This record gives sequence, structure tokens and C-alpha cells, in this order.
Amino acid sequence: MRLEPFDTQRHMVFSRRATVFGGGASLLFLGLGARLYQLQINEHDNYQALAEDNRFNQKIIMPLRGEIFDRFGKAVATSRQNFQVLMVPEDAGDVERVLREVADVLELDQKELARIRKDAARQRSFTPVSIADNISWDQFARLNFLAPRLPGLRSEVAATRDYPLGPSGAFVVGYVGAPNERDLDQAESEETRLLLRQPGFRIGRAGIERRFDEKLRGEAGSVTVQINAHGRVIEEYPNLADQPVQGQPIGLTIDAELQEQVSKILAATNDDANRNTDHHEMSASAVVMDVHSGDILVYASVPAFDPNEFNIGIKQSRWKELNESELKPMLNKPIGGAYPPGSTFKLITAIAAQEEGIEPSHKVTCRGSLWYGGVEFNCWKKEGHGRLDMRGAIKQSCDVYFWDLAQRIDIDKLAEVARRFGLGNIHDIGLGGQVAGTIPSREWKKKYYRSNPAQQTWFPGETLSVAIGQGAPTTTPLQLAVMTSRLATGREVHPRLVRYLDGQSQPIPDFAPLPMDLQELEVVRSGMDAVVNEWGTAARSRLEKPEWRMAGKTGTSQVRSLQYDPVTGRRLKNYELPWKERDHALFVSYAPYENPRYAVAVVVEHGSSGSGTAGPKARDIMRAVLTKDPAKIATYAPKPGDFKTVLDKRQKREG
Amino acid sequence: MSGVILPDRRYGLGLLDAWREINWPLIMLLTLIAGAGVATLYSVAGGSWSPWAANHILRYGIALMALFICGFVPLRYWLALAYPAYFFVLFLLVLVPFIGEVSMGAQRWIVLGPVRVQPSELMKVALILALARYYHGLEFKRVSNPIFLVPPLLLIAMPVVLIFKQPDLGTALMVAASGVAVILLAGLSWRVTIVGVIAAFVGAVTAIKMGLLKAYQIKRLTAFMDPESDPLGSGYHLTQSKIALGSGGLAGKGFMEGTQSQLQFLPEKHTDFIFTIFGEEFGFIGAMVLLALYFAVFITAANIAMQAKSHFGRLLAMGLAISFILYVLINTGMVMGLAPVVGVPLPLVSYGGTVMLTVMVSFGLVMSTWINRDQDTLRTASTVSSL
Repeated sequence: MRLEPFDTQRHMVFSRRATVFGGGASLLFLGLGARLYQLQINEHDNYQALAEDNRFNQKIIMPLRGEIFDRFGKAVATSRQNFQVLMVPEDAGDVERVLREVADVLELDQKELARIRKDAARQRSFTPVSIADNISWDQFARLNFLAPRLPGLRSEVAATRDYPLGPSGAFVVGYVGAPNERDLDQAESEETRLLLRQPGFRIGRAGIERRFDEKLRGEAGSVTVQINAHGRVIEEYPNLADQPVQGQPIGLTIDAELQEQVSKILAATNDDANRNTDHHEMSASAVVMDVHSGDILVYASVPAFDPNEFNIGIKQSRWKELNESELKPMLNKPIGGAYPPGSTFKLITAIAAQEEGIEPSHKVTCRGSLWYGGVEFNCWKKEGHGRLDMRGAIKQSCDVYFWDLAQRIDIDKLAEVARRFGLGNIHDIGLGGQVAGTIPSREWKKKYYRSNPAQQTWFPGETLSVAIGQGAPTTTPLQLAVMTSRLATGREVHPRLVRYLDGQSQPIPDFAPLPMDLQELEVVRSGMDAVVNEWGTAARSRLEKPEWRMAGKTGTSQVRSLQYDPVTGRRLKNYELPWKERDHALFVSYAPYENPRYAVAVVVEHGSSGSGTAGPKARDIMRAVLTKDPAKIATYAPKPGDFKTVLDKRQKREG
Repeated sequence: MSGVILPDRRYGLGLLDAWREINWPLIMLLTLIAGAGVATLYSVAGGSWSPWAANHILRYGIALMALFICGFVPLRYWLALAYPAYFFVLFLLVLVPFIGEVSMGAQRWIVLGPVRVQPSELMKVALILALARYYHGLEFKRVSNPIFLVPPLLLIAMPVVLIFKQPDLGTALMVAASGVAVILLAGLSWRVTIVGVIAAFVGAVTAIKMGLLKAYQIKRLTAFMDPESDPLGSGYHLTQSKIALGSGGLAGKGFMEGTQSQLQFLPEKHTDFIFTIFGEEFGFIGAMVLLALYFAVFITAANIAMQAKSHFGRLLAMGLAISFILYVLINTGMVMGLAPVVGVPLPLVSYGGTVMLTVMVSFGLVMSTWINRDQDTLRTASTVSSL
């Protein structure tokens, strides 16, 4: 056998190249080893952590929102069962068929169906898609009846917020809504953000719900679940569950029962006193305070929206209707409505006058008008009141008398007294949207005309209209109630709306006496008594029982300058004007006169007359309050376990 | 002379002599690797012999017998069978689109009696056989002659195009690479090689431009560079694979303790991604041992190639060794994020009958090369005596 020369050559080339391949493979193996070292040794900790994440996940268990209850333990914001329908596309098979049947029962429109299809397409097919929320029990029952024919359909009962008082509690309790992008941005921790993202989670949007949102929110629980790569839960570990903690209960000073009664009284149009009106719907508010504790027993504003509508999701048209109504159902009138106080401000003027050295016995003769600076100021009673002292002037609400006083009082003194009685101040009771109103003073005018120095000087003549509560001064019904409480007790009463917080009843504050000669209050109280009980301006608001003897003061504040008939020159009556141009009607009162306990302030927007509209409502309110006498009834404080609800266990039913 | 013709190692051996010549270290290495496969498959199934581990043993047993049979077939018969075998497998490949079964979106299987085979796997061996046969009979001075480069390129191109059409990009590329390796081993001049590489590159770019590659194929090819870009899409497998490997650490989580495998985070964990499970459970140490075993197999086969005296045997054994190690490198590189995610199994460890058979048959051929290493011309004894 002879070896061909080319054989040798090709053998040599082969050996060389085989060696090159072998060397290359060796290098590549070294590279693999290095990579393994990097992954398994260098970056081990990192991947170890990722592997743990892969294996376990935390599923959030939503906390129940804290309950809000009234002074006697009646729930005003609570959780109720929310019937939900979900669909698991994977189990449904023919999704369209299931949707058709469900749409029939739930009356879903095309927009809703499109949303469901979009959700279903976006998620993994074993993830439930929400079909409808807050469906009625009837619909829920019908779906469960159809369930055997509708695979993949699942009905669940979850918790949702409920407001048993409806509109009458709207402005106190507020409402909740779904968190928006801003809430997510503001969330301080990733955990909070996660909770906010849970479907069905709500945060406080208004009222107590908003102010105490964090306390009401509670703490989310979590359960450890094992998942696979697709996110499908393989197993839950209930033993590793971190139970959610319900938000804390909050107790209000409100008496829910009275609150509803007062709302009805305010809304009533068929009042006998309304003979001068055309029975226009009422836009009114009232605050009832316990003058000892400052507890706001009633905080009513009509008309009002139903907070339940906001929780479920309000329709655009309804939202527009609420915002455009001339009755302002979205306005929180007791703190957000600023009205000229009218004659109720004369009580402040009377005190300021005494502090300027004018005795209550100071007498003025009213001939129906007063000339000042070449202008005739007309008293509300053209014929004049005759000769009056301070008590009589309050009783008759004589403008001329208070104009006389106004000429002897410095405006800053008047403003100081007004603030001492709570006017023009913010009273923090836990509600947002409060306005301070206006108490005119030299400083105020300077600020008001800061761009126009020529207008900044205070003219004594301007004090005249302030003294009778017309023009620039504005106050809120809450401020009027505070003023009345302070007049009645001589103490610096502060209003409060929350009496049970952080697991304990808040102590009843011991209010300090007002820093003044309390003797000055006597003529005011006696005058207010006379207003109601001695045929004064509110004689028809007198209460029938002697022990209910109520002291009060009417107020009628002009919305615009007086209107005259173009032909006869006669001043037009309120009922002859469009509703929006009629005077506001006010009434402040307290009772019982001898031993004051309750203060009531009522403002009826465009109610024409304090004595005709606001007075009778205040009387009815006071009658209701005195009949029940809530201050005498023991308040409620929750005991541990009181707020365990049936919803603790999420009821789940396979549909 | 006594008239008794003594068996001459240069012309062929009897069965008994062949048995004595068996390269036992190679058999042992292969069995150890397959054993690692059985253990991993047992673990992946959650500690169960079914559905994979028991079958794997059975298949290895059958494939080992195939190895012996192929090893005992004299190398000169393989020389003679090279072209027929190649064209038979090519015929099967042509048949795939017509009678093939669809699996994972690709047609790869055909049913031959009781067994389902992937002709593309068989082609890995058949192509190397055919190319070794071609260069065995080609004068060295003609190797770099472009005219004589046409037949081997055709031999490579025909199956590669067919496999690519199935579509099975990974196997197509691997088959092509093994074929090119044999041409290089045969001594193709580097000048021609460089021209070829440039032509191949231009061809590949054109193929992509013309849309010959499906979107998912391009995605899979590029995902390994930035798996986090699409964590739930094509980069997903890779991310999960790296997590499993990385969490294994130095010593691993222990046999059957791999959390990622138990929780089904890994796709195709019993086939293409099985190295990940092994690395998770046995750690850096275990993975390095397995890689060392593979390397030892390669070195053994390469050594056999170097010791063979026939050009056919040398090209055959070395070509098969390179093909084998290419699979190991691509598969492990793939699960570690160093290579594109192409459907390449890990030889002997991944579950799959055809791959097992192909690998063992190819080592049967290597064994035959070993047993017949002293034959240089691969002519029969009678032919020799007639000279």
C-alpha cells in the first residue's frame, strides 16, 4: 500500500484544522464556564431575589372603610353588599353568547359591552373581567338563575359605601369616589398606591369622608399566593394572610333623626307664613347647636345631592343638572354660603354700642327715616317706631335706632365685637369648602381697595349700613349659630362636628367666658325674647309651651338695591320680584330662654322675609329639637366588636 | 506463507475483534450524560418516572444498541452507504411537507411505521457522511477549486433549504454549520473560505430583507441581546431561564428542589431548557461537571478522528464531534443568554427520541471509525489481495 503524496498533505491540513476547531471549542467552553460563574456566583443574590418574587406574590385584601355614625350610634356612612358580575373568558368559551345573555338581563349598552370586550382582550384569559357593579338584587338573582347556561360567569358580593341618610347627610358625611391619577401620584408609598389601584377601592372626596380619609381607610391586608409564570394563582396560603384592619369608626355630633326632620322643615313650601311668596322651591340651610358643648346637632342644607349617586358613579347629565340648578344643591350652604346678616347683626351693634359707652336706656325717636350726610335713610317701617330704647329697638328691629348708634360706634370696634362672637371667622369643624364671610373694617377696606388708594378711607356713613347688617358684611349660617350660642351663654362656644375619634369620645370642652362685661348681653337677650314673645317682629314664631320659651332675631338681607315700580314709584314687594332678586330670610334663636341649651340659625335664600319665612322654620326646628331634647339623651360610644360587619368574610359564589 | 490469511487490521475485523476494540471510555461518558438527563427529567416531572424519565432510559438503551450496531458495521460499508443514506434522508425531508405532522407551528415529524422521526435530525448525520465520502475521494489540490466546491455546497444547500422551510431555523443553521465545518476540515483554502463567509452574510441579509424569516424567528434571534425589552414575549423564556440558573448558586438548590421548574416558570423545560433545570438544582458545580463531560466526549471523538488513518474516518468522526459540540454550545449558550433562542436541544439530556437516536448513531459511526482506525484506504481485503 502506497500513500499518495496528496494523502499526506490532506492529513496534515486536517490535523491542523482539527486542532484549530478543538482549540476554538475549548475557548467557547471556557466562555460558557465564565458565564455560568457570572450568573450563578456573582449575580446569585440578585437572581435569588427574583426567583422568590417569581414564586410568591402578595394579593391585597381590601380593608373595610370605617363607619361613620351619629351621636346615638346610627350609621350615616357604612358598607353594604355590592353585587358584582364577573366573567372569566377562559371558562366562558363563547364569550359573545354569554355577553348577549348578560346584556339582556343587565341592560348593558354598546359602550359598556365595548369596554368589557376591551378588558377581556387585554388581560390573560383566566383573569376575571368586571361586567357590572352595584346591580340590583333582582338582576343578581336572575343571573344566578341563568348561571348554569352561562359558563365562566361569576357573581361576587363585595363591600361598597352606603349612605343611609341620603341627601340629608350629604354635606356632613360627604362621599367617596374612585381614586384618580392625582391621588396615585400623591400616594406616599408604593403599598398605598397598590391599594388605590384595587378595583372598587374608594377614597373620601368630600365632607368627613374626605377630611378623615386616612383614618377611615384602614389598613390593607394581604395573602401570600403562589403563582406560576402566567400569574395564575396556584395556591393561596391563608395561614400567611395578613388580615386587613377596618378603618376606625368616627362619631359625629349630628342627630340623624333630627337632621332628617330639619331637612324636611327647610324644604317645606306650604308654610302658612309663606303667603307673600309664590311657593318657590326652598334653597335653605340650618344649623342647630348645643350651646353647652358646641355640638352641631343638625347641619342641614336643602336641596342636596344623594352621596350614593357619587359612589356608584354619577351620570354626566345628572352632574350638570346638579351644578346648574338655581337652588344650588351642590353648595354646602351652612359653611359655604355667605349672606349679609341683615338685622341679626343688630345684636352685635347693640353690644358694640354699650362698649362705646352707650347705655341700653339710650333712647331714639324713629320717624321712619334718618337724614345723614344729605341722604335720607329709610327705616323698614315707613311710619316710624316712635321713641325706643335699646331693648325696644331690638324687638322692633328699628333701623333708625341702630343708625343712631352707628354714628357713635367706630367701625373697628364693631368689627372686633363681630369677630368676638364668631362672625367672619373660620370654624374648623372638619369640613372643607368653608368661607369666612366678610366683616368690614378699616383694614378690610384698605385690603379690598388695595389697587385704588383713593377708595381706602373709611367714611363714617358706611358704618350705618354695616350696623344693620346690609351691604358689605356677610356671614355663614354656622357663624350665626355660633354667634347665637355665645350670646346665649356668654361663653366662647366653639362648634364641633366630630365627637368620637381615634377610639375615644372627645371630651366636652369647658368654654371660657367671653372677655367682656357679660352684663352687656342682658339687653340683647331680653330684646330677643321680646322679638318672639312680646309681639315683636317674630311674634308668630312663638312656641306654645312656656318651658320652650324661645328668644330670636329676624333678619332680611337685601340681595340688590331696592326696586321701584316704574309707573307708580311704589317700592316693589318681594313676591313681585324674580326669585333670584328677592331678599334672603334669616333667623337666629335660642331656647329655652331662661336656661339656654339650643341655638338655631336658619337662612332661606331669597326667602323674602326673616319673620315670614325663616322665623317659622326656626320655630318648627326648635320645636322638634325641644321635643326630643337630644342633649339629655346619652350619647353612644362604640364598644369593641360593634363594627364587625357581615362583610368581613367576602362571600364568593361560583356562578 | 502458510496460506492462512491473518486478519489484517488495515482491511477489517471480525465481530469478536471489533468487540475488543470498543472505546469504553466514550460509552461511559455518553452514559453519564444520559444519566444526568434521566435525573433532570425525573425532577422536572415532579419526582416521577413518567412521562419522561423512564422513556428516556428506554430510548437510551435502544440508542445504545444502535450505537453498537453502527459501530460494528465496518467503516468501508459506511463509505459505500454514505450517498444512499444521504439521499434517503433527503427524500424523507422532501416528504415532510406532505405527510409530516405539525408540532409547535412547524412540520418536522413523519411517521414511519411505529416511530415518529424528524428527518431534519437524521440529516445532521447523513450530511456529514455524504460530505466525508465526497472529500475522501477528492484529490487535495481540487478541494479549493470552485468547481469541486459546487457538489458539497449543493449537498448542504438542499437539506438546509428544506429544513428552513419546515420551518426550523435553528436546525437549518446547525446543519449548514456542520457541513461547512467538514469542508473546512477537508482543507478548503482560507481565501475561498473568506469569500464564502462574505457571500453567506450577504445571503442572510438578503433573506431577512426579502422576508424569508418569519417575524417570530427574527424576534427570537435578537431577543437574547435584550430580554428585558419584552419580558412577557420572546425574551421571556430567557429571563426566566437566567433567574433559574442564577438562583441555583454555587451548589444548587438540590435535586428536585428547583422552584422555578416546579412552578412551571420555564418553558420547554424538559427539552430545550433542560440545562437550566440542571443548573438550578445542581448549581455551578453540577453545571460545570456536565459541561466537562460534554467536553470530554468531544475530545475523545476528536482524538479518534486524529488517530484514524482513512480520510473518510477522520472527516466523519471530526465532523460528528463538531456537530455534537456545536449543539452543546448553542443550547447552553442559549439558556445563559449568550446565543439566540433557537430550538436546539441539549444532546442526550433533552427529552426527544430522534435526537437521542441521531446522537447515538453518530457516535456509532465514530465508534466504527475507532474500531477501523488502522484501515487507510477502506478497500475490502479481497480488493487488496487482488492488487
